[in-house]
Order: sequence, then C-alpha cells, then structure tokens
Amino acid sequence: MIEFSMKEAEGGTIIVRLNGDLDIDSTEIVEETLLPALENYKAATLNFEEVPFVDSSGMGLLLNVVQSLKEKGVHVMISNVKEEVQFVFELLQIPEILGKDTFI
Amino acid sequence: MYKDGMTYVHQKNSDGLTIMDKTLKREINLARNIQSQLLNGKTPVFDGGEVSGSSVPARLIGGDYYDFYPLVNGKIRIVIGDVMGKGIPAAMLMILTRGAFRSAAETTKSPADTLTSMNQALYADLRTLKSFVTLLCADWDPETSTLTYANAGHNLPLYIKGKEQVVQELPKIKGIMVGGLPNQVYNNHSIQLHDKDTVFFYTDGIIEAQNHNKEQYKLERLVQTLMENKQKCVGDIEKCVMESIEKFTEGAPQRDDITMVLLKISDQKAEITSLNSPLMK
Repeated sequence: MIEFSMKEAEGGTIIVRLNGDLDIDSTEIVEETLLPALENYKAATLNFEEVPFVDSSGMGLLLNVVQSLKEKGVHVMISNVKEEVQFVFELLQIPEILGKDTFI
Repeated sequence: MYKDGMTYVHQKNSDGLTIMDKTLKREINLARNIQSQLLNGKTPVFDGGEVSGSSVPARLIGGDYYDFYPLVNGKIRIVIGDVMGKGIPAAMLMILTRGAFRSAAETTKSPADTLTSMNQALYADLRTLKSFVTLLCADWDPETSTLTYANAGHNLPLYIKGKEQVVQELPKIKGIMVGGLPNQVYNNHSIQLHDKDTVFFYTDGIIEAQNHNKEQYKLERLVQTLMENKQKCVGDIEKCVMESIEKFTEGAPQRDDITMVLLKISDQKAEITSLNSPLMK
C-alpha cells in the first residue's frame, strides 16, 4: 500500500514523497487523492526514494498522473528512483514515453 | 419497486450469498472459461521442434496473453504479452490484444511489422483506457532454424543452449510498449538456433512470484530450474518450472499472472519443404 506526504517548495512547486509499493492497490489513493491534490500547482516533483517496487499497474498509474497533470499545465518531475525500479522503467522505456527530462 | 438490470435485491439465501454475489460469481466463471479456452487453444505441430504455452492467472481471471499463429510459408509466429493491470479489466484488454494480433499476424511479414501494426490498431483505445501492453513477438523458421523477434517493452526470452550449460537472455532489442507512443516502428533481430536449443518466453509474474516472506522467485532460480531440466520435452520443462515456483511460493497469494511459452528444437533437423505449413493440433 502506498502513502504520500507533500511539502511546498519555492516557485509554486510541490514535492511529493511516495512511500511503499506502487501497484494495483494504489489505484484509489493515486487517482482520487494524489492526482487532485497536485492539480493546482505549477510544478510537482515525485520523489521515489521510498518506492521499492512498481508493477505494471503502478506504471500505468504513473503514466496517467504525469500525462493528466501535463494536460492541466503542471510540470512533473520524477526523482530518486531506486535502481531496481529504474530497471523496470528502462525496460518499458518510460523515460522515452514521458520525456527524458522528466527524470532527475 | 422499480427494478432495472442494475438493481439487485440483497436477500441472503441458504448459503449466505446474495443474489448479486451469485450472479457475479457465475459471470466471472463464464468469463474465465471464455478466456481459458481462447488462451489454451490449438498448439501447432511441426517438424523439427515443438512448442508449448501455459498461463496461470493470479486471480480468477488474468491479463497475460500468448498465442501461436502458423504462417503459410511454414514459419510459426509466437507472441507473449502482459496487459497492464489485473483481473477482469486486464482480461477484457487481453481479448482486444488477441484480436489485434490475429489480424496483424495474417497480413504482416515480420514480428516487427506485427508489433507496428498492433500498436497502430490499439494505441488510441489503450490511451483512452489508460492502459498498455508489453509484447514480444517471434517467428520461428524451421527450415533455416532462425528465430526472428521484436520487442515492445517486454522482458527478453531466455536462451537455453542444448549442448552447453548456458542459459542467457536473447540479445537485447528495444521497443516501446504497445499503447505507449503513437506511430512506433519496431525492429527485428535474428538468431540461429541449434539442435536441442530451447527458448523460454515468459512474463514477469514468474520472477516476481513471492513467498510468505515477500522474497521473489527471481531470475536466478528460473535459470537454475531451466538448466536442470533442459533435456526434457517442452511440456515437462513447463511442469518443472511451475512446480519449482509452487514450491518456492508455498501457496502464498500471487500478485501477478504467470505465463510461459517454450520452443524447443529437435535433435535431428527434419527435412521439410517451404510449402509444409504447420498443422494445428
């Protein structure tokens, strides 16, 4: 189960620290709580430091979050991705899909 | 009281199930039967080798997909895929994927063309549904013993050499998952297979299978199992892999579907003509 905490930074940026596995059980939290909470910022950084596992549903949720926020004019960055998770991101070519500059 | 098709009376019957529970249960079972019959269809029989595939859903119904399609030139087209998500929604998209594969296989010349055509056909639907499918497609040519494959974000198959103690991933080839980006062009890569070689296609549900301590089965265990059983026929290797996973997970509930497809080259290369189309058993 995933949890998240938010902290406002300068320039209308919100920093979101995710904690836990990003999988199918995260669907409601991500779509109903996290996504609406980020819509009114200029930019959002998703910190993946405490996310040990992302499955294909989690990957879909992530793509959905980034693409939905982009449509609303929110610039999204993804940071501190663990090596194991990065491996899956690379396999699915998530950086190519979201744009390589999404990852910091 | 007015009732439409969506209204159910919550009345418990003798076995404690409401009418809605019973209807749902019945419909899920019917859906599972449809899926299992479509998945476990005919396996092609051909000279010079054998193929086999199996899939075990994590829930009642799954989102993994594999298929064989015999081509008129004697080649066999193999596909394995993993639809994002689980359960009924994934199963619905799996059926969509199957339809796209079957019609693309008929009209495309290579695995890469098949993936390009499938992405073309499915991209808009998958974006609307916020989903995607990873796929690996391969053509086995029994005449030249060549395996040609293309990849859309799927994990690479394992190549088990018949005459050496070596299990390794097939040479890497990249490609965006189907539904990821529009207008993708995929690339083919070919390798030459030899007598007794086996290629093991699979979905990540195998290496991510978990036991009660949340440890994963991992690639190392899979490689070990394949190495130990490589001399067996495809059906037996399949059973050994399944047994090894079951022994490791000790009945812990799984998060993802488990699917594998095996292609094994026979000991002696049979003489075949290019007009010899594979038969469906």
